[in-house]
Amino acid sequence: MCFNHHFLTGDLMKEDNKTKKQLVDELTELRSQDAAPKKSITGSISAELAAEESRRYAESIVETVREPLLVLDADLKIISANRNFYGTFKVTPGETIGTFIYDLGNKQWDIPKLRELLEEVLPKKEAFDDFEVAHNFQDIGQKIMLLNAREIYRKDIGAKMILLAIEDITERREIENGLEKTRKELEATKISEDAAREYAESLINTIREPLIALDQDLRVVTASRSFYEVFNVKPEETVGQLIYDLGNKQWDIPKLRELLETILPQKTTFDNYEVEHDFATIGRRIMLLNARQIERVLGKERIILLAIEDITERREIENGLEKAHEELKELATELKRTARVKSEFLANMSHELRTPLNSINGFSEVLYDETFGPLNKKQKIYVNNVLSSGKHLLLLINQILDMAKVESGKMTLALSSLPMKSLLNEISLLVADMVSKKKLQLLLEIAEDLPNIEADELNVKQIIYNLLSNAVKFTPEGGKIGMRAKKADSEIEIVIWDRGVGIAPENMEKIFEGFFRVDTPYSRVTEGTGLGLPLSKKLVELHGGKLSVESAGLNKGASVRFTLPIVSSKVV
Amino acid sequence: MRKKALVVDDNANNLMLEKDLLEVAGFEVFEAENASDGIAMARREKPDIIIMDVRLPDMRGTEAAMILRQDKETRDIPIVFVTSSVMAEGRAEIDDITNTGFISKPINTRTFAKEISQFIK
Repeated sequence: MCFNHHFLTGDLMKEDNKTKKQLVDELTELRSQDAAPKKSITGSISAELAAEESRRYAESIVETVREPLLVLDADLKIISANRNFYGTFKVTPGETIGTFIYDLGNKQWDIPKLRELLEEVLPKKEAFDDFEVAHNFQDIGQKIMLLNAREIYRKDIGAKMILLAIEDITERREIENGLEKTRKELEATKISEDAAREYAESLINTIREPLIALDQDLRVVTASRSFYEVFNVKPEETVGQLIYDLGNKQWDIPKLRELLETILPQKTTFDNYEVEHDFATIGRRIMLLNARQIERVLGKERIILLAIEDITERREIENGLEKAHEELKELATELKRTARVKSEFLANMSHELRTPLNSINGFSEVLYDETFGPLNKKQKIYVNNVLSSGKHLLLLINQILDMAKVESGKMTLALSSLPMKSLLNEISLLVADMVSKKKLQLLLEIAEDLPNIEADELNVKQIIYNLLSNAVKFTPEGGKIGMRAKKADSEIEIVIWDRGVGIAPENMEKIFEGFFRVDTPYSRVTEGTGLGLPLSKKLVELHGGKLSVESAGLNKGASVRFTLPIVSSKVV
Repeated sequence: MRKKALVVDDNANNLMLEKDLLEVAGFEVFEAENASDGIAMARREKPDIIIMDVRLPDMRGTEAAMILRQDKETRDIPIVFVTSSVMAEGRAEIDDITNTGFISKPINTRTFAKEISQFIK
């Protein structure tokens, strides 16, 4: 086996050296072999040897040609195939030789058109040429093949043989298709010059933007409808005119001259040149110029396409916007400055008002305490009045300042976890003196499961103290006041109620306005700022809660209900 | 020996009130009406405590405190700022200086001396 193989290879190598011409000649000879046996094969050589030689010869030819080639026997089984067949169709000699052609490559070759050619056409005609077969192969994809076949009767072996050449023309066809497409496209665009001009003119007339076409002497060839409309000129006084002469030489614009005569010849195009010009008929216009210089294929003529966009209005709007934007910016700067000034003013006011109050309250307190010697009864009462008025003034200043801070967004919350149960008890002790002086009954109903809340401690204390002291102030001696606190979903709800003077329906709105005080016999004897409720409402809202007041009417008591979220949603 | 206290305040009334309250409580009190006098006084007397207004005519109280902190003679003297400003802005700069305290105006005359004493080690 090994020897034979070696011999065969050497033989083939020798055959490889043959010229193409020789091969073609030999193939022709082979094809006609049956009809006219080769002269060289004479009776001195045995028929068997001759057959063997011609087989090898055929094999070597098959192997040499560039185009894939198959040799089939009468039963359509493959006798031999060339290297190019294996290479092109990705099959191995082992699975090819002796195989029924349709079974080749996992029956990929079972192609209806091939069956038709081999089984119907070939037996009748003994040959077919250039049959095109397209087939989608599993492994190598869509292939277009050109099939050529010859049926040969071999007298020496007394059997038919089929020579099948399979040319892969997939790529060639693709190129051809591409060329065809290009040709068709070219054909489609090949329209008459008249049609082209008509097309261009209708294009020019369709667009909204004024457009004129100039020849190389800058004379108007054509202008769009919109050009006539926008610039208020007539076609008869336009076409054929030098552009600068248009509309009584109104178009003799230095900048346009520069563009058309200096820039365009160098660059053949310019974009978005802004030109401002005062036209006699239509007034000052701002135009955006775009131009293209087109060289005509025939002749050396050039055509200039000039698009003239009237951006006067757009620019006016832009300028207006720009101005408005500037004004807004100034306003914003001014607002920021005002806010800063206000904040500084509040800080200064606070300092300036408190400094003398420090003296008033400090000295009167020391006097009242008789630190440096005793006072008589009258002196003591007077100095106490100075002190309590000073303290009232201080409270007012603090509350006004707090109101201003909340309103200007300057109030920052110092959030912490507040133990509400103990905090409510603690504040109720702060009003205990006032409560006992008026012989009031204070009822506390604080839920056992009242949770801690996240809030600003000073603010919460201030809210509750304000509301409790209001309840005390507006309740006659011997009356009842109370506080209820419970958890309600994600909030706590606190109600501070009294059986006091109540609020007339017409006053329900006014109580939040500041400095409004319910005019009753009791309010006169109490000291208050009239800011406690409005400030408390603002502080509750700052924490994300709600505050509301209910009263059945005058002398029916009142209750203030407010909520505070358990977990603050405010960013500190 | 009596404790020495230095009060720096440009408001004569405040100065008098704080001085009187501290003297009643047993302090030997030194006074200054501006920061530079206060610094000079602090270097000379080496008080046990300095009570300083935040706003002084020649510089901010905190600036004066920084100067005192750089001098090893006065570096360890506790400083209590007394201010009537309720804005939070001043608080941070005070917290940045070591060994300082804060009392807001108006002062409580009944507890002032006690509050001051708490800052002395």
